Amino acid sequence: MLKIKNLTKVYDDGTVALKDVSFEVPDGEFVAVIGLSGSGKSTLLRCINRLIEPTSGEIWWNDVQLSHISGEELRRARRQIGMIFQHFNLVDRSTVLTNVLSGRLGYVNPLASILGRFPEEDMQRARASLARVGIPDKADNRADELSGGQRQRVGIARALMQEPEMILADEPVASLDPALAHSIMRHLQQINQEDNITVLCSLHFLDLVQQYSTRAIALNEGKLVFDGAPHEIDDAKFIEIYGREAERIG
Amino acid sequence: MSDKKKNGRPRHWWKTAVIIFVIFLLYAYGLQVTKVNLEEPLEPKRQENLVSLIRSLARPHLFDYETETRSTAVSIHMPCPEDIKASQVSIEGRSALMVPNCATTTQDRISITGDGFLPNADGLIGWRPPGADSTRRIGEFKVGPDGHLEITFTMPDIRATAEPQKLELVEIVNRRIIGLSDTTMEALDKIVETVLMALMASTIGTLISIPLSFIAARNLMQNVKAPISGIMSGVILAPIIGGLGWWLASGIVGPVLSENSTALASLQAGLSPLGFVGNFIFVIIELIILTLPLVFGLIGAFTALSVGGRFGQRMTMNLADAPNRALNIVTTVLGTAVLFIILAYSLTWINLLGIREFMPETTQAQLSMFTVPGLALGIIAGLLTLRRPARHHYPIGLLIYNITRNTFNALRSIEPLMMGFVFVVWVGLGPFAGILALTLHSVADLGKLFSEEVENIDEGPVEAVTATGANQVQSIVYAVVPQITPHYIAYIFYRWDINVRMSTIIGFVGGGGIGFVLNRTINLTAYSQASVMVIAIAVIVTVLDNISSQIRSRII
Repeated sequence: MLKIKNLTKVYDDGTVALKDVSFEVPDGEFVAVIGLSGSGKSTLLRCINRLIEPTSGEIWWNDVQLSHISGEELRRARRQIGMIFQHFNLVDRSTVLTNVLSGRLGYVNPLASILGRFPEEDMQRARASLARVGIPDKADNRADELSGGQRQRVGIARALMQEPEMILADEPVASLDPALAHSIMRHLQQINQEDNITVLCSLHFLDLVQQYSTRAIALNEGKLVFDGAPHEIDDAKFIEIYGREAERIG
Repeated sequence: MSDKKKNGRPRHWWKTAVIIFVIFLLYAYGLQVTKVNLEEPLEPKRQENLVSLIRSLARPHLFDYETETRSTAVSIHMPCPEDIKASQVSIEGRSALMVPNCATTTQDRISITGDGFLPNADGLIGWRPPGADSTRRIGEFKVGPDGHLEITFTMPDIRATAEPQKLELVEIVNRRIIGLSDTTMEALDKIVETVLMALMASTIGTLISIPLSFIAARNLMQNVKAPISGIMSGVILAPIIGGLGWWLASGIVGPVLSENSTALASLQAGLSPLGFVGNFIFVIIELIILTLPLVFGLIGAFTALSVGGRFGQRMTMNLADAPNRALNIVTTVLGTAVLFIILAYSLTWINLLGIREFMPETTQAQLSMFTVPGLALGIIAGLLTLRRPARHHYPIGLLIYNITRNTFNALRSIEPLMMGFVFVVWVGLGPFAGILALTLHSVADLGKLFSEEVENIDEGPVEAVTATGANQVQSIVYAVVPQITPHYIAYIFYRWDINVRMSTIIGFVGGGGIGFVLNRTINLTAYSQASVMVIAIAVIVTVLDNISSQIRSRII
């Protein structure tokens, strides 16, 4: 269960990225986060796992207040929360297997991992994760040899290595073509339904939102302007979220 | 107004004129200051010197030759008899005529013409003064393509004898290379020394600069923040634990190691056929013993900083506002005092601006003198902490980043020649001083280049790895290191290349390597030997430059 109360983020240059945002996400939901570019979607996702320090407000994750922990506690919380990114954020020069194994860093012995050693069961888990996302034969390729869709699958496999209870997906399909976008979204949906992993996913296209998510929240200039079922977004709500000049497509 | 804008031509032609005039003045003054002088180089004497220098340089003493010669002797009278004649000889198809065949003063011009000599051969005229063991060279000649020879000369000195003396026309019939000259062998020897010097300096420099490059990278350091109580507890503990480490290393571990290293000396003797391997092990152990106090001290200090930081962090998180502020003030007062005392003591020690004259002589008296102003400063700093919230995290990372970066920049700007000079004073003449100077310069240079490479990485993977719950070291190893490795390797080779070039200069102040020999040969005006050194440097620099650029293009 994720609970966000009055979350505000003001950047050092004075930009208000999030203004008093509050919502709750029960376990197992697939929540789409929508809004224009710059509306605060990425900041919201990154505040949850503290890649960005919130300015004020509370973030509760299973009775732990994420905004007040640091060090070992924070790392323990982070490893339960997987994250995938628009630009995949793989280490290009490392192998796919190493990239996937890096998802396990929060669990293994730090010294052994620095020397590049992982337990045998983690190696098997990594290969199983790759098989699950459909690229079992790419383990030994360098990450930059893969196509965009394959790279995002590696990103998902890396997140799965964390055995997460929640996955934060920051525009996971924005750099992919529509066919690949659907395939990646189906993987996320499958993970959400089979493993009961909560998914919090920022998206640009409403058809993807309506097809895959069970709930949608919308941000406009850092404020929460919508929280409800995806099909409730009618024309009036649409204008409220995207502004008057936006035109509905798809 | 509109006219001006229309044709777009600036009306301020006089500004242009002023600028041109100023530039003219600048160059005129520059010419005077730099003492550009066009008359001196046109003087015949100077030109002659230049030609002879260039000719020596153009004839590097690369090889030893064996020459086959044939000589033809002509008689000469000193002084001239009453009745002046010419001498003529004719042997084995050669004929030579000397007019006149005598000399009374050193100004008398004598000319020799000959025929039937080996076409195009080089040769010289030698004179054996009365009673001398060897001949003196008094002139050179070159035989024409038709075997004809013409030469005019004067005698360098006159030693009168009753009997006629001999001049020899020595023509070089054949010239063969019989091997590399001693100069070439020395050049090869010193080039190897130079390349190895550069290799050692690059290697040690790399090892030191890699860890430093991480703390000189803005993107890694800007998020390192700590509460003031943490920073100051670290500062207070650092000299204590660091000093403990130093004492442990120099008092206990060091002596034990050096006892056992005498046992290793016998091992070294056993390895005599591979003497340099035994020596290598021996030197490494000595080096460890030598640097152990420093290493232990630094480890102690860093442990103290980390422990202090954690303590402060924990206290800040758990204490209420008021006790937190009290802790901040106490630690800041003590920490600032410690910093002040260390700084003041170090400055006194190096005698900055002659400060020692005003200080008491004993360390103890100095320390007690610094305590009061240290505490006073500490109280001011302590009160200043009240201006910030009790839990304020200060950007200590940025401070460390700035100090490291600026130290790199300052060190880089000091000429390696100057560093070489300092190290020659410390460790004596020879390549070791050169290695130390180059190492220091390499650390600063590579540290800056490396840290810029760290700053240029793609932050995405770091973000991703951090999000998995990895700690800072893990995320550096998994997300930063793979991105920077090829650039680091490229820079290491580049630096090796630079160090070879620099070590030729460092030799001039006694830092060993080929520069040392180059300096010596120039001072002895042995230009044809100096020329060999210059060629050797040019060859090795070109070769290494090619190798390093090949490797770089292949890696990146």
